[in-house]
Amino acid sequence: MKKALLIFILFSQPIISELVLEITKGSDDPYSIAIINFDGPKNINNQIGSIVTNDLNRTGEFRILKDNQLLSSPVNQEEINYDDFKLLNVDFIVMGATSQEDKSNISVAYEIYNVNKQSKIRTSTVYGIPNRLRQLSHYISDGIYEEVTGIKGVASTRLLYVTEQIIDNKSLFKLVVADADGENEQVLLRSREPIISPSWSPDSKEVAYVSFETGMAKVYIQNIASGSRELVLENNSQISSPSWSPNGKFLSLTLYQDGNAEIYILNLKNKNLTRLTNHYSIDTESSWSPNGSKIMFTSGRSGSPQLYEINLRKFNAKPKRITFEGNYNAKGSYLPNGEGIVFVHRKDNSFQIALKYFNENFVRALTKSRLDESPSISPNGNVIIYAISEDGTGLLAGLTLSGARFRLPTKIGQVREPSWSGFLR
Amino acid sequence: MLSIKKIKNINLYNLFILVFLISSCSSMNVTEEVVYDGGIRTVEASMQENTELDYETKAIFTNATVYFEFDKFNLNSKSLQTLKSAVSAMKDNQSIRITIAGHADERGTREYNLALGQRRADAVKDYFVLSGIDKNRISVKSYGEERPASFGSDEVSYSKNRRAEIN
Repeated sequence: MKKALLIFILFSQPIISELVLEITKGSDDPYSIAIINFDGPKNINNQIGSIVTNDLNRTGEFRILKDNQLLSSPVNQEEINYDDFKLLNVDFIVMGATSQEDKSNISVAYEIYNVNKQSKIRTSTVYGIPNRLRQLSHYISDGIYEEVTGIKGVASTRLLYVTEQIIDNKSLFKLVVADADGENEQVLLRSREPIISPSWSPDSKEVAYVSFETGMAKVYIQNIASGSRELVLENNSQISSPSWSPNGKFLSLTLYQDGNAEIYILNLKNKNLTRLTNHYSIDTESSWSPNGSKIMFTSGRSGSPQLYEINLRKFNAKPKRITFEGNYNAKGSYLPNGEGIVFVHRKDNSFQIALKYFNENFVRALTKSRLDESPSISPNGNVIIYAISEDGTGLLAGLTLSGARFRLPTKIGQVREPSWSGFLR
Repeated sequence: MLSIKKIKNINLYNLFILVFLISSCSSMNVTEEVVYDGGIRTVEASMQENTELDYETKAIFTNATVYFEFDKFNLNSKSLQTLKSAVSAMKDNQSIRITIAGHADERGTREYNLALGQRRADAVKDYFVLSGIDKNRISVKSYGEERPASFGSDEVSYSKNRRAEIN
């Protein structure tokens, strides 16, 4: 949490403070790293190299130099001529070696050198399986990222999202889990009826989502590894918008049993329901603050959708409105450090992803297109993944709070409703 | 001399990640970790058979769709006209039961649109009930923006998608 906090301090105010972590640069001025070709099997190293480079590039915080852009390519500490790297303004050197012991074991050892200090700052070994190089590579990316920036990396985390394909004039919906770079897609659920609002349990072992497979929106929890799933609540009316409490013990939900959308908290162990909202307007899209003390939700009670917050630690607390700019602010989620919220904001007839820090009195628009929605924040708080619509096709795009932008590889059909897992590494 | 500053040991399933952070004079991190790459199982959603209405009922209600303004769920005069004939059909035939499905256009968030679709379906139900139809003959649900009638991203399509369908 402290590390995540740090980056927000750095971005919001240009103060260089004395901190344990070495953050020397903002991201208009990226870290320059030289990645020397790893020693060992070439085809494996090429795969690892391209995944790592792609991971680091996506963060927007690095300028990566490869062998052919360098003055020298040392293979060990003794061979490093630091002046060769200083001349190219390289801050860090990464070198490593891959060894495949047998068919089922592979290991990558890598080292990171600080050019200015002329010293080795990290030596790491990652053990994996040869035919599962992607996650192994993501571990290396995250090791480099955290060593250089002082912030935990998210290359080894996963995304959950929904795809829709039209086959024989009928929709096929899939709930998909993929690596944070959009690769390694695996299907969790296939259905002929819509799936929306997927979200990860805090330990990232289960997912909750809304499925219309019975003809009506209902919330299910599914174990990723075993595939076992359960309807969270038997009820005659529709249920939607699941959100896990940070401790994983509760699920906030929108229930329609009162003839209107109201937010309840479900105790997952004993299935007790506690009603949280009571208003004739729509109340939905609940989400928990990082420490579990507050729930934010979208309500139409002011005449247009706005975000409200309710304090769970205070008896009978009234919802407090927290957005005032514009006539559509919805689907909010808290930054992992609790210092602000990310949400969907309507401006000039466009729906954009927006950020508001609690200590600022204005909304920062993060995107500019017309139909951006479903923002989900990476567990380190640095990246936001969201859904965009381009010529009627749904795609996933991402942005970092340091200003980088990226898109996930195009898939077949429509892609929507991304949700970022917790840390897996 | 080396001294172990921090040892973090996280258990994930039965595999482990071990991170040693050892600091020396030059403060170097040494880590060792085993990649956890969990398996995933695919599940097929069970499909509920749609209880099909009989032919006659379907014929009466085929065109019973009413439309709404953006972020609104009130019925306009045209909608009331549409619903009047449906009400009288239900009065004439006591065996008819209906489902009202509310929908929204693609603008705005999916969950809010699901709730909005529900409000639209409820508004139609309220009209039936106020007109003397037993509420037990009516069920409501919402598809939000998930089942558009028209796929365009323009006002013409949007106005066709902000609807409640009576079946």
